[in-house]
Amino acid sequence: MSTKEAVVFSIGWNACINCGACVAVCPKEAGFISDFDTIAVHEPCDIACMHCEAVCPVSTISHTMASALNGQMLEEHVGNHFD
Amino acid sequence: MQQHAIYNGNGEKKVIDYRDLKPDEYGTKEGTKPLGYVVDRRRFDRYLATQAERAGVEIWLKTEASHFRTLDDGSCEISMRKFNEPVTVRAKVIVGADGVQSQVGKWAGIKTHIKLSELASCLQFVVDGVETHGLLEIVTGHEWAPGGYAWVFPKGHGYAEIGLGVTRTMCNDNAQSYLDHFIKHSFFKERFKNCRVIEIQGGGVPLAAPLKQQYADNVLLVGDAARHVNSITGGGIHTALSSGKIAGEFLAQLIASGKPATAENLQGYHDNWLKAMGNNMWKLYRVKRDIFDTADVVERDERLYKTMSDYFGPNSEYKKI
Repeated sequence: MSTKEAVVFSIGWNACINCGACVAVCPKEAGFISDFDTIAVHEPCDIACMHCEAVCPVSTISHTMASALNGQMLEEHVGNHFD
Repeated sequence: MQQHAIYNGNGEKKVIDYRDLKPDEYGTKEGTKPLGYVVDRRRFDRYLATQAERAGVEIWLKTEASHFRTLDDGSCEISMRKFNEPVTVRAKVIVGADGVQSQVGKWAGIKTHIKLSELASCLQFVVDGVETHGLLEIVTGHEWAPGGYAWVFPKGHGYAEIGLGVTRTMCNDNAQSYLDHFIKHSFFKERFKNCRVIEIQGGGVPLAAPLKQQYADNVLLVGDAARHVNSITGGGIHTALSSGKIAGEFLAQLIASGKPATAENLQGYHDNWLKAMGNNMWKLYRVKRDIFDTADVVERDERLYKTMSDYFGPNSEYKKI
C-alpha cells in the first residue's frame, strides 16, 4: 500500500535473488536502481507506491520514511545493509 | 515440450502427450521430431554468445550502459562503464534486449511501465528427488497460484523445477509463501516429500500486453523489454529469440539502405513483428485478461484450467507461440 510519503528502501541482500522484478514494476524514471540491479537504496523514492515491495518473490525489500532520516542517518542506513 | 499434464486445483488432470497422440511425428525414434527443449539458461546463454562471437560479434563483459544521446548525423552515442572505466560508443541503433527491467526503453521515453497487476511474481526451486516422467505439469487454481499457475518441469539429469507465479494484486502473500504451501500441502505433497532444493531462482514475468510502441529514434526493443511474453504460459525465450531475429533482419536491411535509424524508419520492425507473431500475442493477452478479470474465483479457476488444457491440445490455434 502506498504511503504517499517519500521513503528509502532497504534490501535484505541475503535473501535477494537478483531477479529484477522490483525494477520492472517501478514507475520511476530510468536509473532508479542499485549497483546490484535492484530498486535504488541510496536515494529517497517520492512516489512510494510500494509495488517493488509487493512484487518481490521473497519479500526482502523494506523501507524507512525519508523524513525519519537526515543525510547522515541515510548514509548510515544504506551502509548498514552493505555490511 | 510436447507433453503436458494440466491440473485443476483439486488434482484432476488432462494429459496431452504427443508421444501417444502422434507417435510417428514426435519422440526419440529415428525420423521423429524432438519432443521439445528445456533449457539451462546459463549453458544456453553461453552457447548463444559463442554463436554470436563466432559470427563476428564483439562481446563486452562487465560493461553497463547508462544513457545515450542522438547526434546531429542521426547516429547516437552510448555512455557506458566497462570494468568501472567510462567509455562511449557510437552506433546507428541500439537494440534494447535488457529484459523485463529494461532501462533502454526508459532512456528513449518509451512507455515501458508494467502494472503490478500484470507482472507475475515467480519463484522456483531446482530440486533433486522428484520424478517427472518427461511431462510438463501445470497446476492451476487460486489456492495454489492466484493469477498464475504452479509447475513441475523436468530439468534432465534427474532434476526437476518446482515453481509458481502469482499476481500480487490477487493475493495477500508472496510467491515464496505460496510455493511453500504448494510443496507442503498440495496433492503433490507426498511426491515432494523427499525433494532436496539445490537452487533457487525467481523473477518477474510480464503477463502484460506487448508494448504499443517498441521503437524510438535510435532504439528498438526486443524480448521481455518489449513484453514479448506469452500471456497464457508466461513463456518468453522462444518469443524473444524470434523477435531478435526479426529485429536483426530488419536492421540489416535498414543499415544497408543507408537510411538513419529514426523512429519513422524503425516502425517497419514493429510491423514485421506484429505480422509474424505480435498479433497472436495480443490475442493471447486478451484471453488472459478476460480470464483474470473474472470476479468469481470458481469460474475463473475453471476458465483457466480449460484454457490451459485447450492451449496445449493438438487443435490449439495458438501452437508455436
